[in-house]
Order: sequence, then structure tokens, then C-alpha cells
Amino acid sequence: MKLRYYASALVVLIVIFATGFTFRMQEKKPWPVPDKYKSMKNQVASDAESIAAGKALWSTHCKSCHGVKGQGDGPKAAQLKTEPGDFSKASEQVQSDGSLFYKTSEGRDDMPSFKKKIPDQDDIWSIVNYVRTLKK
Amino acid sequence: MKPITYNTKNWFVRPAMLMLCLFLLNGIILGQDSSGNEQTPVAVKKIKPEKNTFGSIWIIDNQTVMVPIKGTFEMDIMHRFGTIKNGYKDFLGFFAPSNIRLGFEYVPINNLMVGFSITKANMTWEGYGKYAIIKQTKSKYPVSVTYFGDISLDTRGKDNFVHYSDRLMYFNQLIIARKITPKFSAQVSPSLTHVNIVDGYYYEPGKYRGTMNHEHFAIALAGRYKIKENMGIIVNYDQPITKHRSNNPSPNISFGLEVTTSAHAFQFFMGNYSFITPQRNNYYNRNNFKDGQFLIGFNITRMWNY
Repeated sequence: MKLRYYASALVVLIVIFATGFTFRMQEKKPWPVPDKYKSMKNQVASDAESIAAGKALWSTHCKSCHGVKGQGDGPKAAQLKTEPGDFSKASEQVQSDGSLFYKTSEGRDDMPSFKKKIPDQDDIWSIVNYVRTLKK
Repeated sequence: MKPITYNTKNWFVRPAMLMLCLFLLNGIILGQDSSGNEQTPVAVKKIKPEKNTFGSIWIIDNQTVMVPIKGTFEMDIMHRFGTIKNGYKDFLGFFAPSNIRLGFEYVPINNLMVGFSITKANMTWEGYGKYAIIKQTKSKYPVSVTYFGDISLDTRGKDNFVHYSDRLMYFNQLIIARKITPKFSAQVSPSLTHVNIVDGYYYEPGKYRGTMNHEHFAIALAGRYKIKENMGIIVNYDQPITKHRSNNPSPNISFGLEVTTSAHAFQFFMGNYSFITPQRNNYYNRNNFKDGQFLIGFNITRMWNY
């Protein structure tokens, strides 16, 4: 009887820890964007050329974490401490172009800063234009 | 002195004068002050150089036209295994003696890359520089042009040399490339190798002759075709041009696959060149593709941006 009691307690503890950990993993840390960027207008027209350039850059720099379709399921995503988001969903697409530009340029935690690796700002705007095409 | 007269009936002068009038009129019209007739300015699309003509600074055994962006530090690990001729005996050359190179490059200012490396063959140290002279644009320049210069130092024991300068070899190359379509890029690279010491013999008492010239011209053709956004087929051919008395180097055919990521480029290929050091490859290659003397190799590069 005592053994059963301990076993049940152990199962409950495991469940609490496991779910706690899962909730912790899925908890989205707020990422404040300066007002200047929130309202910043996209400097590059979303035409075929820009989207193609954005797609090429996405494949090189973003796909390994964010996935082919931007669903946050890239091969490296499992190793991340922060949740990469799902760009096919409206919850991510609701962000302004300027916000996406800021986050791509500056980075945070697992998300690297791309302002040195992609020094041409128009290229980052092209990535933003490509991200818009990932919406379902 | 006979005065010069113009016959306006002349078939050449009349259209020429008409063209001149139109040209001048056009200039006057374009030169008009438009302040009285203001229009909304039309945004002019910025002309920018073509990006990513190639996926790496390397295309198998040659440099590409690419110079990384300012502040980039790069490390190269390159490997050439033995020839595949022995088959299973040394597992297509994988277990044969191989050649290895470690290279380090930095881009201190825009368009200039400098670097140094050490290669196992002849314990060769290299110092090199690469400068992007022209970058291809949509309207102005049809091609990109980059210069590559390399000095190599053979650091084997001094028993192998008479003078210190015998250790040195030089390589100069002009790389002309074009991104022909978003998927296909090609480049042509004429090069000049200079070797300080060559083998020689006395063909008459007191008269000495080298088996090879000190200078060696060659030309390389290379191309990449992208089969996926980050994967491409790479090919490269090196043709010696200078004809030496003997010991003429063999051409090099190489082909392989390139995979690029945000910070890495991986190239896996087969080819005839084994020395990695470009001047040594161009001057001393003895692996002949006609005899099936191919070897497997890889280049791995890692970039950091500072």
C-alpha cells in the first residue's frame, strides 16, 4: 500500500516537472520593439525580384531554425531555448514590417543579429517581404 | 587657298546636319529649367552589384571572384586524398597519404581580402590577397573582375635548397566572372605562376638550360549551377598554356557538389590537382585525367562577421 502511495506521488511529481518544463519551453518571452521600428515603412517594394532575393536569403540564413515554410520546424529548432515562432500563423504575421526588420537586424538570444552578416538593409526588407508570403 | 564649301545636297552632310540639329535641340530641351513645371519625383531604383555570384571564395582548387563583406573572418579546411586508382586497396584513396591545408582570411576594408595558410605538401606557407576591382551590375558592368595574388614559401629543411629565395613561388590571377542567370555563374581566370628555381641540365660544357621556364601561364574555367537554393553543381577546368621543354604540367578537370549555409560552405569533388597551393598545382601537376588519376577532396569554409 505504501509502495503504491510512493509510486503515485512519483508519477505526479514527474508529470508536474514535465508539464512545467513544457510550459516553460513554450512560454514566449516578450520582445519589445522600439516605436521607431514599429512604425517604420518597408523600404523595398514587394515585387517578384525582392521576394526571390528574400527567399534566397531565407534559405541561407533562416531556414535551418525557422523551417522551409517558416513554421519553426527547421533541423536546428529542437536545440533552441527560445521558441522560433510560426510565420504561417496570423499571430506572427500581425507584426509590422518594421518590427520584423528590427528583430532580424538586432537578434536576441538564439536569434542571431544579421546586421553584420547582411549589411544591405534592403536585403533584410526583402526577407520581410518573403516572410509575408509564408502566411497561410 | 581654296575655301571649304558644303554641298547640302550631299547624301552624307544633309542627314548629319539633321542629326546635329536634333541632338542640339534635344540638349536644349533637356536643359530647360523645370521649376515652373514641377512634377512628383520618380523614385529611381538603386543599382547594386550582383550578389552571390558564387557560394564561397573557393571553387574546388581555384579562387572565385567573391570577396566577403568587410569584417569577415574566414577559416578554410581543405583536404585532398590519394588517387582513386588503387580502388579498395586504399579505399579510393581515402587511406592513402593525403594533402591538407588550413587557411585563414580576413576582410579589413571593403573589397580587399588578405590571408595566410599552411599546407602539408612541402610544408608550404602562403600569404595572399584578393581585391574586387569591378562588380557586376545590371546596367553598368557586365562582369565582375577580381585580382588574386599569392606568395608561397616552401619550409622544408634547408638541405633542399641552395638559396633562401629558392623556396618562393608566386601566383597572379585575374578572375573575370558573370552571374549569367540567378542559377548559373561562370568565370574565366588567366594566371601567371613564377617559380624562382627550376630543374636544369648542362647541354654543353658550361651551358646550362632549365627543363621548364620560370614563368608559366594558365587559364581556368569554372562554373556553378544551382540545383537548389543552397546546393549547386561545381565544375572547374585548368589548362596550362606555356609549353616547357619537358615536364609539362597536366590539365585539371574537377567537378563536385557545393552546399552553403549561413556561415559555412561545403564542397565535395573529384579532380586531378592535389597540391592545393595554386602555383604548385598549375606548375607541377602530374595527375593526368586521361590516365584516370582523379582524387577525391573537400573544402570546408567557416565565416564569422565582426
